Amino acid sequence: MKTSSTLIIAVLMLGNIAFAQKSITKTGSVSFFSTSPMENIEAHNKQVNAALDVATGDFVFKILIKSFEFEKALMQEHFNENYMESDKYPNATFQGKVTNLSSIDFTKNGEYDVEVQGKLTIHGVTKDVTEKGKFIVKDGTVQGLSKFNVKVADYDIKIPKAVVNNIAEAIEVTVDVKMNPLK
Amino acid sequence: MKTWIKIGIGLAIAGIIGALVVYKFIYNKPHPDYETETADFRTEAKQLFSDFKSDETAAGQKYNGKVIEISGIPTSIEDADSMLIVVFAFEEGMFGNEGIRVTMLPKFNDPGKKISTSETVTLKGFCTGFNDTDVILEKGSIVK
Repeated sequence: MKTSSTLIIAVLMLGNIAFAQKSITKTGSVSFFSTSPMENIEAHNKQVNAALDVATGDFVFKILIKSFEFEKALMQEHFNENYMESDKYPNATFQGKVTNLSSIDFTKNGEYDVEVQGKLTIHGVTKDVTEKGKFIVKDGTVQGLSKFNVKVADYDIKIPKAVVNNIAEAIEVTVDVKMNPLK
Repeated sequence: MKTWIKIGIGLAIAGIIGALVVYKFIYNKPHPDYETETADFRTEAKQLFSDFKSDETAAGQKYNGKVIEISGIPTSIEDADSMLIVVFAFEEGMFGNEGIRVTMLPKFNDPGKKISTSETVTLKGFCTGFNDTDVILEKGSIVK
């Protein structure tokens, strides 16, 4: 009886530890910027789901394409209907791992360089990616910051010839996700 | 003035007017006003969430990109980075609470803070999809 009670308590405690090791946000920010001789285009999405398991380094993102906001309504329409086909491919995802987990102390405030490896899926096309970024650890929260380029051709995003000069071949993506421990 | 000059000037004026019209009404057209848009669907908050949980693809084809009016009792109001989010939570999952998250239009941030978490409210918003945990409605407004 005593042994089984101890076992149950131990299992419950382990469950709590595993639970506490996950940091999440549902209001992460991802934006992109395209610069070309014709015009600059930028869009912002502040509804990004991100989760980091600080014990294993597992790192996932889920981004709804229709949540990207543009200054111009026409650009937003073209982005959804013509380029990203957001009715057919409603989200973009990243699923990967922090590869240098041992060099990050999540219990100590500070800035840490990170490398993340995984699979990025955009427009239904999945590619292996390795990107560098930074984690800012502050009082239990982990802010992930990164800036990298995505080539539109890699993800089978077709730009009509009429506007090919308006959109850069490589789009600069900026990620800013402030994750709090899951309670 | 010679006829061909008159025609040329006329064509130039027509071209300038045409360009201005394209710039104003097409290239620079305003974003939809989601507060005054008529809802494409009216449903209970729980029903909308259930539709996405039971068949994400079918629900996405039906609701994504549409204006939806939902009714229900909110579980919390979140104030995050100048965004006010009204949350209707129905389940617990890997990201904590799962349900519907309505990000309010800025003009509804103050009235949104007064929304009761013990009474039914009806909100309207633009559905951008389901992210495995929540149905996201944006540009939210209070209907009643």
